[in-house]
Amino acid sequence: MKTVEPAHSVPSRRPESPPVTSVTTTRAGRTRNRDWLHGLLMSTPAVAGLIAFVGIPFGYAVVLSFYNVRLGSPLAPRFFGLEQYRRLFTDPDVSGPFLRALLNNLTFAVVVVPVQTGLALALAILLNRKLKAIGLFRSLFFMPVVFPMTLVAVVWRLILARSDQGLLNSALHAVSFGNWGAFDWLGDGATAMASIIVLSVWQGVGFQMVILLAGLQQIPGELYEAAELDRATRRQQFRHVTLPGIRGTLVFVAMLTSVLSFRVFDQVYVLIHGGGLDEDAARTVMYQAVTTAFDQNNIGQASAITVVFFLIVVALTLIQRRVVRPDNED
Amino acid sequence: MNSTSRRHRRTACTGLALALPLAALAACGGGSGGGDTSAAAGSGKGTISVWAHQGQKSEDTALQNAVKSFNSSQSGIKVELKLIPGNDYTKTITATDASKLPDVMEFDGPTMANFVYNKKLAPIDSYVSAKTMSNATAASKAQGEIGGKHYGLGMYDSGLGIYGNKKLLDAAGVKYPTSLSDDWTAAEFTAALKALKAKDSDGKSLDVQENNGFATEWGTYGFAPVVWSAGGSLIKDGKAEGALDAPAVVSAMKTFQSWKTYVDPNTDGNAFAKGRVALSWVGHWMYPAYSKALGSDLVVLPLPDFGDGPKTGQGSWAWGIGANSKNGKAAGAFLDGLLGDTNVTAMTTANGAPPATKTALAASPLYKKGGPLELFAEQLAKPCGDSDITKSCVAVTRPVTAGYPTITAKFGDALNSIYGGADPKSALAKAARAIDQDFSDNDGYKIQ
Amino acid sequence: MATTRAPLRRAADYTVLGVLAFIFVLPVLYLLLGSLKPSDEVLNGLTGFLPTHLSFDNYAHVLEALDSDSTGYFWRFMGVSLLIAFVVVTGGLFVNSMAAYGMSRLKWRGREAVFTLVLLLMLVPFESVAVPLFYLFNDQRDTLYIQAIPFIANAFSVYQFHTFFRSIPPSIEEAARLDGAGPWRTFFAIIVPMSKPVFASVAILTFLTQWGSFLWPVLMVSDPSVRPLPLEMSVFQGQQPPDWGQILAFGVLLVLPVLIVFAFFQRWFVQGVASSAVKG
Repeated sequence: MKTVEPAHSVPSRRPESPPVTSVTTTRAGRTRNRDWLHGLLMSTPAVAGLIAFVGIPFGYAVVLSFYNVRLGSPLAPRFFGLEQYRRLFTDPDVSGPFLRALLNNLTFAVVVVPVQTGLALALAILLNRKLKAIGLFRSLFFMPVVFPMTLVAVVWRLILARSDQGLLNSALHAVSFGNWGAFDWLGDGATAMASIIVLSVWQGVGFQMVILLAGLQQIPGELYEAAELDRATRRQQFRHVTLPGIRGTLVFVAMLTSVLSFRVFDQVYVLIHGGGLDEDAARTVMYQAVTTAFDQNNIGQASAITVVFFLIVVALTLIQRRVVRPDNED
Repeated sequence: MNSTSRRHRRTACTGLALALPLAALAACGGGSGGGDTSAAAGSGKGTISVWAHQGQKSEDTALQNAVKSFNSSQSGIKVELKLIPGNDYTKTITATDASKLPDVMEFDGPTMANFVYNKKLAPIDSYVSAKTMSNATAASKAQGEIGGKHYGLGMYDSGLGIYGNKKLLDAAGVKYPTSLSDDWTAAEFTAALKALKAKDSDGKSLDVQENNGFATEWGTYGFAPVVWSAGGSLIKDGKAEGALDAPAVVSAMKTFQSWKTYVDPNTDGNAFAKGRVALSWVGHWMYPAYSKALGSDLVVLPLPDFGDGPKTGQGSWAWGIGANSKNGKAAGAFLDGLLGDTNVTAMTTANGAPPATKTALAASPLYKKGGPLELFAEQLAKPCGDSDITKSCVAVTRPVTAGYPTITAKFGDALNSIYGGADPKSALAKAARAIDQDFSDNDGYKIQ
Repeated sequence: MATTRAPLRRAADYTVLGVLAFIFVLPVLYLLLGSLKPSDEVLNGLTGFLPTHLSFDNYAHVLEALDSDSTGYFWRFMGVSLLIAFVVVTGGLFVNSMAAYGMSRLKWRGREAVFTLVLLLMLVPFESVAVPLFYLFNDQRDTLYIQAIPFIANAFSVYQFHTFFRSIPPSIEEAARLDGAGPWRTFFAIIVPMSKPVFASVAILTFLTQWGSFLWPVLMVSDPSVRPLPLEMSVFQGQQPPDWGQILAFGVLLVLPVLIVFAFFQRWFVQGVASSAVKG
């Protein structure tokens, strides 16, 4: 999971910086009336690009969801009305996988967000010290972030291979003196999702760790000194100095991880199609959307999946922001 | 449609797409290369583009050599070859508009009908020489034929069976078939697995190429024979229900499912070659590696019979002419060269496949009578075509229908979940329903 | 909390860190070692981990498989990936930071609405719009620009810049205004230099995402001369039996440039963030 939080929005004691407008009318006066123009001009390239390459295509996808459309088919698209949506929710063959995928996404998010964030925080604290070569250690933990998820999936497929040649199985075999045999980590419904979670967290925790590390380093040392003078234990210091100091960053990081976790796709696709991953236990909504679109060539259905999913994510994000708002200056 | 008007149409399409998405889709969507899919004959000279899939290095080299020798053997036609990674090849062709496809195009056999449906392939009958056409094996012609026209011919076909390690089989006292006529039944096969398990250190004596994944074309190619041998089929008269989920098929799949305990996951691909398993259910492509590893201990056996006679797969990559080619004659000349004995022999030596031309097949050291892979040739000599599967025919062509992508996707998924422990009856019924639904959504994929 | 510790404490720290880091990095070691071994030894259980028979053969085979006009050339694929990533990253840094500044620090009507739009678009995964984009731009297949331009404007980048810029004290800009600088100059001459951390962070993230991009090239590219590198991985994955040594070797080659880019930016990134230049 990749996410970022520049340290500067960490401290909640910092007043929100209002946007700058020129209020003086002296030498700088002549720019005052033009701010709106400059603001607009500066925003235009990116916003236009976003509208052209994200907004319009998404609108197009919404339109497509009302049709029966096939990739490369000579048949004209046929108006289907709400049929794609009806199938998505009531046709057992279609809604079964879709609803299961939603559940899987939810499970993934509910586990990954706290686990990855917590682990990242722990690592950040561990790495927040002036040891020689601490930079090396930080880089080591950051390294997996640099790997494309498809490559991560390939490597972990070998590690989790169900034969006793798989790295994990042999390690367990050795460690348990032969008592633990080969286990099908990817194929067994009970551990399939857990395997995906482990490799996803492995890949993403480094990035969060670095951000939280930066956040930790913004906490003024004097606060810790003051706490020590007050004879606060380490746990108390953590609860009363560290956590509040890093709260903004933590919330930001958690929120972003949860949004990104809804996009889980690459690793699930690679492992289902080439690694024996239990499809039911691990399919995600984006996996459904992409396979429906490109393996079954059913563009209309895939678009419906996408639209429904987008609405759910928006709803969840709104709820999240409302819940978190009182504490978050975001 | 000449190219400038097509260009204008293209710009109009993009503009239209921004304003009226669906209108654009109807007018400009994927397969619109024009209503007529016959390639233009052209002058018979010039540069032609050729696309092929990038597979094993040895195959690629054989192909590149074929192109080189063709180019140097005559000066009128120059061939430019482009290789596209094999795993994404079909997707790439699907995603490419017909007007941008090359003059000569390779395609995976079962996808032929789909590409014809999408107006991406042109009939080759008028461009390929009569000699080439008559030299093609019956199976190869059947794979590329639809609506009375031929759209492709292959350099090679495929063979599927069970490789056995004679030493291990004899040590376990297993009686294995010596030919198609004394093929083992599914029950006998299960008994063999049990006997082998007793002598095997980890109890796993069978390899089914699990490392390839079943939710892929391997799933369909390798295991549709189970369906066929049980008397069912993937689709019958345009309907999957009743054919795919017939009781006999369900029970055959149950048997297949029960074999999982004997299967070595074979992640490294070497289970059979290294002697960890005694039996390997796979195609001709593993022959080179297996024969090198086992030498004279290698035996080639037919797939078990589930009741309706031994059945096996057929079909492989084939070559066709792009629908919008301007140089059909030159493309045909290249195909003639490609399907000549020298090139076919070189290619099949490289990949161990059965040649798809009569002359090369007869001369092949591997596939001739008495050769090590004689069984595969024998199987191919008893073709079933894709719809009339009788007890006596053996090599079944995968369904020749434009809806094949859905059939293979759904069957692969069902196979994958059955292997993972799901109930075969519901998995197959689900697949059948999905296939039928898809066919009805697409008006039966009738080719216009 | 950076305190100095007694030597014994320090040794303990190193040990704990060392063990944790080692466990964490095991899969990477596996990748590296696996790429240097003959393929049938890659999956030898625990012993697959031990370095025996190390050689660069797998790398040689990977490069050999991609060495002709018809297959495309390895270094060309690498070059295409680098070029596209470079364009997307630099274009993105430029365009997205400007937009974020315009929306966060300059007041104009509709600013909030536009930013809300950006936030909404941030929630749209690329896979959802891949097909419509594919329909819209089907004529532009097999070009370099179609692989780069759609990704320059990025809602997530805008969001990151926006959050960062909002925490800059207004005094900076007021000072600039008093000196007679307009918003453009203020942005480029003053804000940008003091925003190194967010620029580095956005650059890294964009580069990583772009480097691993797979779906779009599969849809839009068939010509080897404009193909990016990740697509070629399937050449090795499609072989039967899978040649793991070669697949892993390809993986290492795929990741190498990214590691180099990261190593270069890393110092800026982590250390730069810790500097309190802006906090002032």
